[in-house]
Amino acid sequence: MDFVLIQFLTGLSSASALFLIASGLTVIFGVTRIVNFAHGSFYMLGAYLAWTIVRAFWDWGGREPYLFVAGVIVAAIVVSLIGVAMEMTLLRRIYRAPELFQLLATFGVVLIIQDATLAIWGPEDLPLPRPPWLRGFIEIAGSRFPRYDLILAVIGPVVLGLLWLLFHRTRFGVLVRAATQDREMVAALGVDQRKLFSGVFFLGSALAGLGGALVLPSQSANLQMDLSIIAEAFVVVVVGGMGSVPGAFLASLLIAEVQAFGIVLLPKITLVLVFLVMAAVLMVRPYGLLGKPQAHARAQSGMVEPVLRPAPPILAWAGIAALALAASTPFWAGAYALTVLVELAVFVLFAASLHLMMGPGGVVSFGHAAYFGLGAYGAALGLRYLALPMEAGLVMAPLFAGLFGVVFGVFVVRLSGVYLAMLTLAFAQIVWAAAFQWVDITGGDNGILGVWPSAWATNKSVYLWLSLALCIGATMLLRRFVFSPFGYGLRAARDSELRAEAIGLDTARLRLVAFTIAAAAAGLAGGVYAYAKGSVFPTYISIPKSVDALLMVLLGGVQTVTGPIVGAIAYHGLFVGILQTTQYWRAALGLSIVLLVLAFPLGIAGFARARWERAKGLEAA
Amino acid sequence: MSAPVLDVRSIEKRFGGVHAVADVSFSVAAGEMLALIGPNGAGKSTCFNLVNGQLRADGGEVRLAGRSLAGIAPRAIWRLGVGRTFQITATFASMTVRENVQMALISHHRTLWSFLSRAADKFRAEADALLAQVGMAEQAERPCGVLAYGDLKRLELAVALANDPKLLLMDEPTAGMAPKERTALMELTRGIVRARGLACLFTEHDMDVVFGQADRILVMNRGRLIAEGTAETVRNDPAVREVYLGAGTTSGGH
Amino acid sequence: MLTVTGLNAFYGRAHILHDVSLEARAGEVLVLLGRNGAGKSTTMKSIIGLVRPAQGSSITFDGVEMAGRQPHEIARAGLGYVPEERRIFTDLTVMENLAVGRQPPRDGLAPWTPERLFAIFPNLGRMQDRPGGRMSGGEQQMLTIARTLMGNPRLILLDEPSEGLAPVIVEQMADAIAKLKAEGLAVVLSEQNLHFAARVADAAVIIEKGAVRWQGTLPALENEPEVKAQYLSV
Repeated sequence: MDFVLIQFLTGLSSASALFLIASGLTVIFGVTRIVNFAHGSFYMLGAYLAWTIVRAFWDWGGREPYLFVAGVIVAAIVVSLIGVAMEMTLLRRIYRAPELFQLLATFGVVLIIQDATLAIWGPEDLPLPRPPWLRGFIEIAGSRFPRYDLILAVIGPVVLGLLWLLFHRTRFGVLVRAATQDREMVAALGVDQRKLFSGVFFLGSALAGLGGALVLPSQSANLQMDLSIIAEAFVVVVVGGMGSVPGAFLASLLIAEVQAFGIVLLPKITLVLVFLVMAAVLMVRPYGLLGKPQAHARAQSGMVEPVLRPAPPILAWAGIAALALAASTPFWAGAYALTVLVELAVFVLFAASLHLMMGPGGVVSFGHAAYFGLGAYGAALGLRYLALPMEAGLVMAPLFAGLFGVVFGVFVVRLSGVYLAMLTLAFAQIVWAAAFQWVDITGGDNGILGVWPSAWATNKSVYLWLSLALCIGATMLLRRFVFSPFGYGLRAARDSELRAEAIGLDTARLRLVAFTIAAAAAGLAGGVYAYAKGSVFPTYISIPKSVDALLMVLLGGVQTVTGPIVGAIAYHGLFVGILQTTQYWRAALGLSIVLLVLAFPLGIAGFARARWERAKGLEAA
Repeated sequence: MSAPVLDVRSIEKRFGGVHAVADVSFSVAAGEMLALIGPNGAGKSTCFNLVNGQLRADGGEVRLAGRSLAGIAPRAIWRLGVGRTFQITATFASMTVRENVQMALISHHRTLWSFLSRAADKFRAEADALLAQVGMAEQAERPCGVLAYGDLKRLELAVALANDPKLLLMDEPTAGMAPKERTALMELTRGIVRARGLACLFTEHDMDVVFGQADRILVMNRGRLIAEGTAETVRNDPAVREVYLGAGTTSGGH
Repeated sequence: MLTVTGLNAFYGRAHILHDVSLEARAGEVLVLLGRNGAGKSTTMKSIIGLVRPAQGSSITFDGVEMAGRQPHEIARAGLGYVPEERRIFTDLTVMENLAVGRQPPRDGLAPWTPERLFAIFPNLGRMQDRPGGRMSGGEQQMLTIARTLMGNPRLILLDEPSEGLAPVIVEQMADAIAKLKAEGLAVVLSEQNLHFAARVADAAVIIEKGAVRWQGTLPALENEPEVKAQYLSV
């Protein structure tokens, strides 16, 4: 019984921190409709700034509790100013862009802040020295419980109460609630949107900074805080219902308690557990505990998907020429070029498979790396446990990924928009956690080594040709699907679900089949990649890998079928190739993403097509 | 007289404590245009959704050509021969006009699960014939995102006819159109309904259309039918005047 | 009071409005007539700044240039906008909806208060704490007008106020507009329902394919059957 009470209290204290982060995230999303990836970075900055500021205060006036409180508050305010600065300089320019672009832009900020933090505070973890009053314990039911955790447990409900008062008793709060529903209308009623949005970012970032500062005494400031917290915060926000503060509170309680008890009762699957809870909640309540169906974002600038036309013949010839050039590389270039080309072929297929979902399917998967990784692990596990040769492994890869595609897809296709994106992310995290934690089978962090091609394909030239045949062949097949009745049906389901159902199209099944095909294709890409590298690691399934795929598709342009191919080549060739040679490649990549979003909202191929159509005088939708 | 195409008997629907549809019965015969009118929130949409399968009735029965529709999903009801148009047009914006109709024909002919053939080559002639019926043949190649509103409505009608339906359900078919276009669309519909022997059930707020085009009119208020009959009967019904028509000063004297 | 000259507007690359010019006078009701998609809503959205007018467009309100300003600045200058589709805040109560619209009083006009609005829209007074989402279509339409009036506008833009409403509610709407006119407000409304327009409006502008085709008083329009037939499909 004591154990239950103590674990419950531990859960409460981590629920508070989680609620601070998640409430800020959900308020920002509610009003601006931006899923702010950088929110985790603000949390991290809160911790680092508190480490510097609190220590400075203590050096000046002794290690007093009130100076700790003052330091935490100052840290939160500095973070909120950084948040407002990001809103004013970057986000303000892209409020009308598609939500995925906004998400990527904020991910760019994540990368920039990571490198900035590294440059300022260095790579070491920074613990706050703890004076006795921070280390105190309280006797509860015969056990010692940290006093500071008890204080934390109280802060969550207090903040919830303050937020409720703010939203129901102040004009700012009522305006925020109104803007959560229809910000354009609020502007037309004489409310300055810019001030409102900046205000919301101030509030949201302050909450994130506060959260980061408050966990500093029990953890330490480190460079992994941002992405680890943001995944959890997304889960909390989605489980609670996007935009709902009380929902975020309930969800943070639920998630924190699940973690607190899970870590003791089911230590092997703690990482998976959280995402399982999320998947379960979304099954029953597709919009979260207290969420409402999202009002379909109004087509503010009359944005309509353009009519899909087959590519002009010249493009086909250019494609054939490029392929011929690639296939002839072994005769005139060195081994490194061959390695890069294999990777390129793999990423073209990876991007094309995601595009089938994102473009014609209208379904933004945020965890596409899961299927890439499942393909790679499918081949590697086949080798390890069934001694499958490469030929069988390359069949196994798409099958394995496709199988998971069906299982996850059944749940995914029931949702839409941000909820769907977050569920795909959750599934990807489950797969990642399994690969990472299930050491006996997957080798954990060390991965599985020795995944080499069969004897006839070990020659680098031969493996390049094999990769080109498999990856480019599969990509062409995906293209073909887009123009088939199935592809049309998929687009019909995206354009108007209402009409599609009214003419007898089973939209959920169409999406499920597309999801499975996309998963299998990504799996094939993963399989080819595994044999090229000779090994598989959990990083194949990580969030940055999923973001890579999204970037490739967006860089090329979602609205064209050629886009992902161009995007994969541009992304892989230019960004990764050049940027990874610099020390601060994260910041450089982040900056590139931000500039890309600002400069090419249609992507490269979309930009080219707009030019082409204008030149031809074609009617645009 | 032949059996009605649509036969609705004593249907009921409750939402929480609200009796949205209470004991409503009516039928529509082949070749008949039946208008369903009433104040906002009277239960017209609920009634519609009970017929097309979006909602499940708490009581009563809906029969299409003698067959009960209880427990049948909307998609299956479409396959049984129910075409629909919506208050706010719903078309596939990323396709051309012809492709919109082809999509419906692909579904009707059950050739959706084909992955390698080209959709744009399927059922072209059939699609063009349907477009010609609604006067949209010349616009077949245009993206449907650029169509004028009245043309979108006609395209929707062509799509609704693609499965050779027995019953046409039209939810406020003329909403947002100019007076003459309204009449033109409903005369077109009426011609097709007569020629093909369809039954047509529609809701509408434009009294010129209702009194000019419907063979029979049903009036709902607070979930119940309060009047039924010809234009003349309904127009002179004091209850209808009070809850719905008013003095007629803003609806052309109806 | 409101003078629009040479207004051009685009959605992406599509040229929607072509040199639209019109004038609304104090104490008058001006109706924009035209088919769906003719450009009536875009004209209104351009005036309130939700659609950005192209370079060279001029929209003056009491002699002050509004083109290119932000929606909230235009609203604060005394232009009220009531959108089609109502767009009330369904999660907020009637009183909270009104609070969002509130702006400081304006010289020379008695400021609107919830009490005064409830006198014009009695239904709203009986459901002050009801969330907007639990109101009927007609009640929502009344609320959206009342909400805009809370900003004490001197001119109000009403986009298709009668659309989708039962005839008996449309009559109540016509009465409400007459009361606003009597309060000294200028009203610009867009309509498809000619019967309704004829009852409330003093002057009319006919828009077709994004351009003004005819303007004049309502009695003058009655005498132009050809204009009505050509542009209004009557």
